[in-house]
Amino acid sequence: MISTFEQRRRRTGLFFVAPALIVLAAILFYPIVDSILLALQRVQLAGGAVTQEWAGFGNFERLFTDAVFWKAARNTAYFSVMEVVLVTLLSLGVALLLNHPFGRSGFFRILLIVPWALAPVANAVLWKWILNANYGVLNGMLKSLGVIGNNQVWLGTPLSALNFLLIVDVWKSVPFVALLMLAGLQRVPQSLYRAAYMDGAGPWRSFLHVTLPTMRGVIAIAIVLQTIWSLRVFDLVFVLTRGGPADATVLLNFLAYRVTFNFLDLGYGAAIANVIFALTFLLAAAYVWLLWPREPKGAR
Amino acid sequence: MSFARLREGGPLRKTVILVGLALFTFWSAAPVLWLIISSLLEQKALIAQPPDLSPQNFTLENFSTVLAAAAALGRGIANSLIVSLFSTALALVLGAPAAYALARLPVPRANGIAFLILATQMLPGIAIAIPLFIVISKLGLIDNVLSLGVVYLSFNLPIVIWILRGFFLGIPSGIEKAAAVDGAGIFATFWYIVLPISLPPLSAAAVFAFVEAWNEFFFALILTRQQAQTVPLVIAQFAGQYQTVFGQMMAAAVISVAPVILLAVLFRNQIIRGFADGMMKG
Repeated sequence: MISTFEQRRRRTGLFFVAPALIVLAAILFYPIVDSILLALQRVQLAGGAVTQEWAGFGNFERLFTDAVFWKAARNTAYFSVMEVVLVTLLSLGVALLLNHPFGRSGFFRILLIVPWALAPVANAVLWKWILNANYGVLNGMLKSLGVIGNNQVWLGTPLSALNFLLIVDVWKSVPFVALLMLAGLQRVPQSLYRAAYMDGAGPWRSFLHVTLPTMRGVIAIAIVLQTIWSLRVFDLVFVLTRGGPADATVLLNFLAYRVTFNFLDLGYGAAIANVIFALTFLLAAAYVWLLWPREPKGAR
Repeated sequence: MSFARLREGGPLRKTVILVGLALFTFWSAAPVLWLIISSLLEQKALIAQPPDLSPQNFTLENFSTVLAAAAALGRGIANSLIVSLFSTALALVLGAPAAYALARLPVPRANGIAFLILATQMLPGIAIAIPLFIVISKLGLIDNVLSLGVVYLSFNLPIVIWILRGFFLGIPSGIEKAAAVDGAGIFATFWYIVLPISLPPLSAAAVFAFVEAWNEFFFALILTRQQAQTVPLVIAQFAGQYQTVFGQMMAAAVISVAPVILLAVLFRNQIIRGFADGMMKG
């Protein structure tokens, strides 16, 4: 049988996609299914051997009465909401600055790419040094400016520790999102600004009526992605605070890790992980919905 | 006021922009500069209040001490190189054809597949880490560089596919039609025509994947013990053990981040385009 060109293209297409899909499925399918199953079991790790028995919804019921879980949930809610708001606003501000003729220099792009490429662990180690209570440069600077009289233990009190975790994470996250937004800004057609100008709109009104509406999609994507990423912050907690003081910086992700790998309560850890999984799933669905091509694309 | 003038704005707006750019420069650069300065200062000058930045206090001693004392750092760098190169190379080999097919060939439900692949990227690491840990323990492959590399492949592959797909969607279809008219098969078109014009996005995808693998901490923490430890783990341990030798800690951090920062700065334009194309094209 002689196959048509179209059939050959389809067959080659499947042949091209299959290896990647098979590899992904081989690595991820079992862990995804098993992470749900594990949450329904009591799993213990003793001397390298794993014992498992079914526990129904026991692990999930435990969540409701576990004060540490609710504390971590509150911490995570505060951290994620603040993180997303700050990152979105600051990134939009940075993108607007860099989209201005003064900000077009390649130097600023280097300033954005370096924090992005800086390993989260190295970043955490660096900030631990900056925030050091005795010799840290933040204390030194603020003292010489007269803002504080005595050295502060920035990571020593609950609210301050959580807020510094937030600041460091914002510092690390802004560049990537700013780059996304900058790319979005550069796609706003100049003709729209020209038209707004002809209609007598000043800079503020053209920002409000041209920039923001055309950027709506990009901003929405950035918000959803940033929320997902804020739920997986781990390295920073691990290096900077280990969850302390008094569990003030225990985020859900870190709690799931601690319960699983320090307390070796794998089933309960999996139940907490499932909560994060479910939250992320909803957010990912929102992302796909925002990105899904609404009209048929050409060239297919 | 002309339209061109309006884009720049009046004196007030110019001042606001300049102040903003100065603040942004300080905010982004200061911590990184402090990292470098700290790594070059003697301990005594570093912990003086305020730090003594006079030129005679600058030294490379922190670097030589760290490199001589910490065999773990050398091994960590070697492991990180292996894991990152392995997962990046495989991700490119598997990802490039897949991205091309999803963007240009009549694969049934191509968008659905593309988003399914993207969705795997959104999985919280902790959810799959627990089962992976159990499986890999049972296989006796904990603390093995290759098992870590395979896990990294599972998140590098989606990154590569998405960056490349974004680029392939934008290729004018005339190129492929011309190749077909000249008698080139699909495979030849992909190999001889599409790949050569895709070098910038391919390098962006490669650098992106390499950086992600090099910097990854969470899975490395769970899946390695000692032999297969990667750089981020070594640095985190350092920070715990040598809490008070700040200069050496920073020197170790500089050594660990220098390779990927160099790569990122060199390839910044491709990476920035790659982000934008991959993350925002449906």
